[in-house]
Amino acid sequence: MSATLLSIRDLRKEFPVRLGAFGERAATVHALDGFSVDIVEGETLSLVGESGCGKSTTGYCVLNIQRPTSGSVIYAGTDIAKLDDDGMRPFRRDLQIVFQDPYSTLNPRMTIGDALAEPILFHGLAPKAEIRDRLRQLLADVGLSERFANRYPHELSGGQRQRVAIARALACRPRFIVCDEAISALDVSVQAQILNLLLDLQEKYGLTYLFIAHDLAVVRHISDRVGVMYLGRMAELARAEALFARPLHPYTRALLSAVPSTDPRAARNRQRLQGEVPSPLSPPSGCRFHTRCPLARDRCRSEAPALREVAEGQSVACHAVASATETNWENSPA
Amino acid sequence: MTAGPIITPGDDRPGSLWRDAWRRLRRNRLAVAGLVILALLVLVAAFGPWLTPYDFLSQNLDARNLPPSMAHPFGTDDLGRDVLSRVIYGARTAFLVAVLVTAVALLIGVVLGAIAGFYGGAFDKGLMWVTDMTMSVPQLLLVVVINASLKQPITLWMEARYLETLNPIYRNSAIIDFVLVFGSMALISWPPYARLVRAQVLSIRNRPYVTAARALGLTNRIILTRYVLPNAAGPLIVAVSAGLGTAMVLESAFSFLGIGVNPPTPSWGNMISDGLRVWTNYPHLLLAPAAVLAVVTVAFNFLGDGLNDALNPKGQK
Repeated sequence: MSATLLSIRDLRKEFPVRLGAFGERAATVHALDGFSVDIVEGETLSLVGESGCGKSTTGYCVLNIQRPTSGSVIYAGTDIAKLDDDGMRPFRRDLQIVFQDPYSTLNPRMTIGDALAEPILFHGLAPKAEIRDRLRQLLADVGLSERFANRYPHELSGGQRQRVAIARALACRPRFIVCDEAISALDVSVQAQILNLLLDLQEKYGLTYLFIAHDLAVVRHISDRVGVMYLGRMAELARAEALFARPLHPYTRALLSAVPSTDPRAARNRQRLQGEVPSPLSPPSGCRFHTRCPLARDRCRSEAPALREVAEGQSVACHAVASATETNWENSPA
Repeated sequence: MTAGPIITPGDDRPGSLWRDAWRRLRRNRLAVAGLVILALLVLVAAFGPWLTPYDFLSQNLDARNLPPSMAHPFGTDDLGRDVLSRVIYGARTAFLVAVLVTAVALLIGVVLGAIAGFYGGAFDKGLMWVTDMTMSVPQLLLVVVINASLKQPITLWMEARYLETLNPIYRNSAIIDFVLVFGSMALISWPPYARLVRAQVLSIRNRPYVTAARALGLTNRIILTRYVLPNAAGPLIVAVSAGLGTAMVLESAFSFLGIGVNPPTPSWGNMISDGLRVWTNYPHLLLAPAAVLAVVTVAFNFLGDGLNDALNPKGQK
């Protein structure tokens, strides 16, 4: 296994909600609550979960685009979670992000060429004379002709814009890219193209991806490891094959059984979850999943389970799971 | 290499959003009419001294209050001065005042509004208090008050400077009027621009492309000048077009009331004021400047409406 690129420890993000005429502190949204993971160089780590579970917040906090409330993100020996804008600037070259909506992530008043040249010139990565060559190469990398350099974003299709957004992330020759739902807003046929493009670029430049998504089929296809998040906490983290073959956390099981099958005759043994995701304004005590968990015991209501490695490369945060083969899931009341 | 073939752009209409807006503006007949009228007026104002058949000051007491004729297309006034020449010079005054006032107000408004909207905090709160207070007092009243309270100190200061330097520029009371009246007009005109820019910046600073610029590590200054302000410019251009018209009307209003441009410098406002006294006998003295003022105001409105439609088309973000 290769070296750890980013070491994320106990990352937390809280958003104060202020109400009333004098802005007195009324409530706190616990968007991210003690998130820890080591991201290995060259891997694709995916984060999945329902809307509002803190997937995107994780991506923003890792890159310090949103300042984490506490916790650390160690990159190249530096805790970048504590850096301010100026301190963060040299690291931005290495750590990039591709956003969800390609229609709004490009400045409508800037040509594609200017948008791509800006990070290169700003970080002094190439002299002005070589910009044209760099642009041509960047556009070719994402499968676009050089002639796009003079175009404006509104003249491009969604897929083309997302290619430009990827080229822009690549412009600084980064090592790590957060793909924040980078294909969710695109047509299915275009999704496959962009996905393949991302995989090719990973191979070519040795990139590491944090892939934030909600489409489990896509995640299964491209990930080395998958993290399942629920209400700001990691429920299960495992190698992709292991997670899809043998999900251990009750939430993971419910999530996977919700994936539609392509075989209409396949036996449908769905684990249906009752109720809604609780509000992150007042998350449940103990295990955050206990309000909807079929296995919930008294212990789950009071004590939050830690993320423990229960099998080779598979960690679960659940009191009911003792090891990969030893769960009390089977003898639970249906 | 990469997946799939290289995509080349299909050749549809190329161009920036600005060029698209210009294309839409050109299709709007009223806006084009407004633009042509204003362009003509700007030319007339710019080349006034070479266009006017007579000097706007020279009196001819043998030819007083003449009705329009071939020699004097707009007639002459009670001192025998050519009204056409005075209207043309009035256009110079009006444009000079409108452009200066709007430029100063725009500069103050954009800088303060952008900083307030982008950084927020106490500066933002303070600025909004100031704009609220300024905008809640009638403009006319405010200008009169500023004028009345500043005129004497400035006059005394100019007098002192003159005695010190003997430079005749300090003797020119017209300069005092100009600086005072139009300085105070600029002082009351910037709050709407500041509010507009602030509102635009507030809505733009959280757009994804600004977040994307932050993720690239760009500095606040670059983000503000290259990402936020260019996208805030559309509504601002509409406001400037309307603001120029308003400033012209305001200048005429002040001159009409006798607190703006002082005679003998021609202004449409003081010409209307003079004409109003004798309009039953010599209607051309009132009609000439009033008609021109009306046409210019309408032209600015047409242009402003056209710009609004061109820059903010429905269904486009």
